[in-house]
Amino acid sequence: MSTTFEFSFEGKPIAAREGQSVAAALLEAGERCLRIDEAGNAKGAVCGIGVCWECRCGIDGVPDTRACITVARPGMIVRRQHGLSPCADT
Amino acid sequence: MAAAIEATARGCEVTVLDESARPGGQIYRQADPRLQGTEFAEPTELARKKRLLGRFDEIVHAIDYRANAIAYAAFGNGEIHVQVGDGTEVLRPDAVVLATGVRERAIPFPGWTLPGVMFAGGAQAILKAQRTCPGRIAVVAGCGPLPIVVASQLTRAGTKVAALASLRSPLSILGSPGGLWHGRDIIREGVGYGRSLLQAGVARLTGYVPVRALGTGHLEAVQLARIDEHGQVVPGTVREIACDLLAVNYGFIANSELAAMAGARIRHDPDGGFWLPETDENGRTSLPWLFAAGDTAGLRGALVAESEGTIVGAAAATAVDTAVATAAPTVAASDALTEAIAVRSRYSRFARVVRQTLSVPVALWRTATDDTVICRCENVLLSEVRAALESGHHSLNAIKRNERPGMGWCGGRMCLHSVAVLAELHAGVAPGKMMTPRPMARPVTFAALARQKRAAAE
Repeated sequence: MSTTFEFSFEGKPIAAREGQSVAAALLEAGERCLRIDEAGNAKGAVCGIGVCWECRCGIDGVPDTRACITVARPGMIVRRQHGLSPCADT
Repeated sequence: MAAAIEATARGCEVTVLDESARPGGQIYRQADPRLQGTEFAEPTELARKKRLLGRFDEIVHAIDYRANAIAYAAFGNGEIHVQVGDGTEVLRPDAVVLATGVRERAIPFPGWTLPGVMFAGGAQAILKAQRTCPGRIAVVAGCGPLPIVVASQLTRAGTKVAALASLRSPLSILGSPGGLWHGRDIIREGVGYGRSLLQAGVARLTGYVPVRALGTGHLEAVQLARIDEHGQVVPGTVREIACDLLAVNYGFIANSELAAMAGARIRHDPDGGFWLPETDENGRTSLPWLFAAGDTAGLRGALVAESEGTIVGAAAATAVDTAVATAAPTVAASDALTEAIAVRSRYSRFARVVRQTLSVPVALWRTATDDTVICRCENVLLSEVRAALESGHHSLNAIKRNERPGMGWCGGRMCLHSVAVLAELHAGVAPGKMMTPRPMARPVTFAALARQKRAAAE
């Protein structure tokens, strides 16, 4: 088995495997809504390959980071973005 | 990859700019080596992947291979601008081969922005490269081969596939037996995937398309139905199916922005990649230094792409040798080139058959209602696109300037083909002309632009 670890999403612990993307770990944990857009719509992963930018999250304080192509690391802090406001400080 | 292998064999200095973290592109996408598990593909497909990756591995140390390198601009003077890490660089090679592939062709319908609605290839990428099931109960829909493959792979991975909805029956290709014979090995893989669907008892709905995604905050169910030529639901055909994943694919759009930005002539082919650079049999565009290989130059699949990579790699190497200005120099023959030409010819014939399954009726764009989002990045609704058209803004450039579709994060890669189809549908505008592509083809930070390296002028 590959090593598992945890990162946090909206303050909740999420299990991830080494080498797994943030979006994949969130999908595995049943977290589908990754962002609330400017019009208030819930958005999730769509293209899975970094093309559509719908899954962008605040990751370790960096806003607009694509969850689908960012490899999860232990202790990462992932936040849901709301509209144009950058994610709150970690 | 194939173009780099061939150009290297012909003595060129080669730089490969790969947007991914590892070689393989989309079809032969590799998982992080630390992730265990299988990708649920047919053994013959995995063998092809292993063979090409192995050949590339033999030359990767002899070339300048850059992973996570994002080419965001190409100019008529031959400059390629690329982001690597937190900086950018301007390259000025003697010849450029674009192997930028395709993206999935999105067709908007009510509810399609709900989390849980994914592209079928996106769901497959999560499965293939992340070894992760993207949903627990899935509905797979669309046309062409990909939904069949993805439904099958999801089933093998343990996701319950509640239904596979196909625009037309996969048996529709049987009308072209000659073309099928050329792709008999690929058909065999298709049969393997079909067998998994049968064994899992996946319900098949032929002629059905997703007409509405339902849910609060995320996908909870999808309505599938037959539609008429006006995009109206045929009464009595609506089937509502509970699911947390809708994986949909309606074919592909070529990533031709860099070719167009550089000034290459573009042609329009609605089901073969939409906007494509014009190329000759060696992949040369209307610009003597710029080449395009594989699906970038017209949708034909992975086997054509690989063989065409060899052909275009040889032509690009010849262009480097003979100075760029030469019109069409003769490419020296080699065994690899002879074989590649034969393979491309064979699978191109098969691709023409598969392509028939990828044609979509424009009625599909009529399933969108006034409040359906067309441009996901900028939340541009169908009513807003129509308002722009009714005000006389008919070109994509004008619609974009007035209502902002295509001005968001994805750079119009999800919506511009739809805007073109809607302009044709609602205002009779021919969809031949694409939006003028300007830098950046990908979002780049000012900080990365500020840290720009430029090769010293010769």
